[in-house]
Amino acid sequence: MNWGIIAVDALQLACIYGTLAVGISITWSSLGLINLAYGFVFAASGYGAWMAAEHLSEHGIAVMSAGILTGALFGIVVWALAFLPIHDKPNFTMRGMIATVAIALIGNQTLMWYFGPRAKALPEIFGYAQIEYAGITLTANTAGTVVSSIVLLGLVLWWMKSSRRGLEIRAMMMNPHAASLVGIGVRRTGLYVMALTGALAGLAAVLLSQVYYVSPFAGTTPLIKGLAIALCGGLGSVAGALIAAVILAINEAITAATIGGQYVLITQFALIILIILIRPRGIAGILDRAREA
Amino acid sequence: MSEPTPPSWKNPIAARGHSDSPDDVPIQPWQDPLAPWRDNREYKVKLHHIGHFRYYWKFRGHGSRLWHRTRWWPTRRRALLLRGGYNPKTLHAEKTISDKRPLYWIMAFALMLVMPFLVPQSLTNTLLSAAAIFAIYAAINLCWMLVIGTAGIYSLATYSVVGAAAYGTAYLSIQFGMPWWSLPFFGTFIGLGFGILIAIPALRLDGFYYALLTLGLNELCRVYVLQSRTFGSATGGLYGADTYIPEHFSAEHQLMLGYYASVVVMIAALALYRLVDGRRLGRILRMAPEKREAFAEACGVNYRRARIQVFLISSTALGAIGGFYAAHFRGASSNLFGLELVSLGLAMLVIGGTRRAEGVVIGTLIVVLMRDGLVTWGPIRLILIGVIMLAAVLFLRGGLFGIKPQFRAWRDKKKSENRSTRAEKGGEMLPEEATECRDKDEVYLRRFDKMQRDFLKTLVCAEVIEEHRRQPLGQHSEALERLMLYFRRQPQRDKYAIQAIQPFKAYRIVALSGHRGVAPREVEEKTYPTQAAAYHGVFLRRVQDLLET
Repeated sequence: MNWGIIAVDALQLACIYGTLAVGISITWSSLGLINLAYGFVFAASGYGAWMAAEHLSEHGIAVMSAGILTGALFGIVVWALAFLPIHDKPNFTMRGMIATVAIALIGNQTLMWYFGPRAKALPEIFGYAQIEYAGITLTANTAGTVVSSIVLLGLVLWWMKSSRRGLEIRAMMMNPHAASLVGIGVRRTGLYVMALTGALAGLAAVLLSQVYYVSPFAGTTPLIKGLAIALCGGLGSVAGALIAAVILAINEAITAATIGGQYVLITQFALIILIILIRPRGIAGILDRAREA
Repeated sequence: MSEPTPPSWKNPIAARGHSDSPDDVPIQPWQDPLAPWRDNREYKVKLHHIGHFRYYWKFRGHGSRLWHRTRWWPTRRRALLLRGGYNPKTLHAEKTISDKRPLYWIMAFALMLVMPFLVPQSLTNTLLSAAAIFAIYAAINLCWMLVIGTAGIYSLATYSVVGAAAYGTAYLSIQFGMPWWSLPFFGTFIGLGFGILIAIPALRLDGFYYALLTLGLNELCRVYVLQSRTFGSATGGLYGADTYIPEHFSAEHQLMLGYYASVVVMIAALALYRLVDGRRLGRILRMAPEKREAFAEACGVNYRRARIQVFLISSTALGAIGGFYAAHFRGASSNLFGLELVSLGLAMLVIGGTRRAEGVVIGTLIVVLMRDGLVTWGPIRLILIGVIMLAAVLFLRGGLFGIKPQFRAWRDKKKSENRSTRAEKGGEMLPEEATECRDKDEVYLRRFDKMQRDFLKTLVCAEVIEEHRRQPLGQHSEALERLMLYFRRQPQRDKYAIQAIQPFKAYRIVALSGHRGVAPREVEEKTYPTQAAAYHGVFLRRVQDLLET
């Protein structure tokens, strides 16, 4: 067993999972919406990137930005359909969740209808270079994934910490009612949040499609994993989501290397259930205050 | 034709020579003082011919038959909710059915019974297999309703309980040759075991944490089944279980038998729903809805225990349905664990409306008919289901069966909004004030006063003011006379008066206090040289006050 390989794998997985889980977590805590259409946004941004590669340019930056922009666009679509009409209506949390399920159903089937069930491959946007160091092969793909997701996630978190809009989003995360009382537009902030999380999903889609393919239902597994990680980290906490992403990525890398790839989900869920049984509000229950319902 | 002469008023006593006023005063055309009274009493609301009274068919009842009730032996529960009474007009004894739903259910069951003989030959295959799937899914959804609606546990792993039982029993049947009739029996054990397993997190988690966890469990089962060789990773399912449908039957008879067996399962699930939701457990849990658990607990309701009981009962039932599923489809497929089936199941619940058995059944009917009846449409049929589901979530509060109460609530809201826009406020009392007011004369006085002021405002014009300036006292035209009578009739408090500072030289306007012994207060600094000018000053102030109200 090579600990170096496990570490590299864990790092790469942690970056992708972190990107997904942070998006789900921010959506829940600031809007009170469980976005089950996240998988659809993921798949749609994969197709956006693929279309950019087909019709515009195969350059890495073009493909990646096309994916991110498509993700932001479909995030706004979800906002317009599932948040805007019902966010002030009774029983919003349940209805919003079901509305996102409906959007996911419509969206995935539309992708299936339009693009067909065949998977598409994205170009290798990071090139084929690889470095060998102390028996560990570091491919350009891994390095690119890690660097780009850390850079983008860092940018998003920095923006949330330092800008006026980020302050608004954080205020909504702490207490949406009080935030609206002091003049923070709930709908407008929701728009920023959904565009932002959609962009994160788009980034994750482009990164993950380097290994897997773009297909109409490619978003399902990332959605479930992202949800599980967000849940484990404590819904609504960015730091918790990151910690959970690291823990689960290490678990996945170790499981894949020792027992076998098919047991990954089983150990993953055993771990998640264990964490949640011990701390019903996730890891972050102690880290920071977040919305509970 | 000469131009019409402007209307003027002749002082009737000018001829006697008493008055120094001009005998021809220009005035405005006459206005009817009763017009505001008539306008105000008119019913201005536009009437539409909408809606109707609730209409019930009246059955004749006679003597003791009026109060005769059929009851389900040995309970005191009635077969139909009948109301007996006498027609207030004709005094005939008559009976009314208050709740017609049992009749509709019976009609629906009768329709299900004869359905295979009514469908056209070309569609028999599609429709009968779709109807069998509908009945099985309806049974599953009814048990799911028990978990979500009655127990309030947001579990999305219902289909995975069915799937686990179906896979387990199919495995038992294939490996150990269990006969078909034992499969539901083994299914109950598997369902109960699986239910206990997923009920453990439900003790600690609540709401969405649990929903998302169960969604994850669903995916876990799917991936496990897809990768495990024992559970048929190669074929996408586990097939070859024993079935209750005899091989020697013709294809049509096989379909029919499958359909009727599925309907029996659905009726059993309906009975279970009725037994759990409509009796002790359901009532206990209706007392402890979400966010009011503390109150229920304070009342002595052990809601946690009741929830887990309902959860386990429905898991057991789901396991039995899973065993039946394996016997019906000769195995189990990995689609049972798919996210798509969970979304479609949610669509079934949302479209029909939660917390009502008929809503669940109708929602399942719509979704299954679209999914399995229109297979040739490809992905479009699923997109259509998604659109209907989205519309139901966005616009309906309780699905299709909630439309009627929702429409009534909306109509009542609109009614009260319109009523509140019709109420004008202008010195008049609003309904809330009027009910608080002890002296009801005050209400009518204020209303009349408002009408009068509205009319008097229309009389104020340059001609009237000019007439008053020329002659404050004495005979006046009708308009001016009406104004001055109104002003003079006002109560003493804050009434304007004039005070002579120096007789025939300086006058000033004051306002009376209205209380004996309290001096009037000064209103303005200005002094008037003559009494008539001061009178006119008072008149102008009063006119201004009138126009300002």
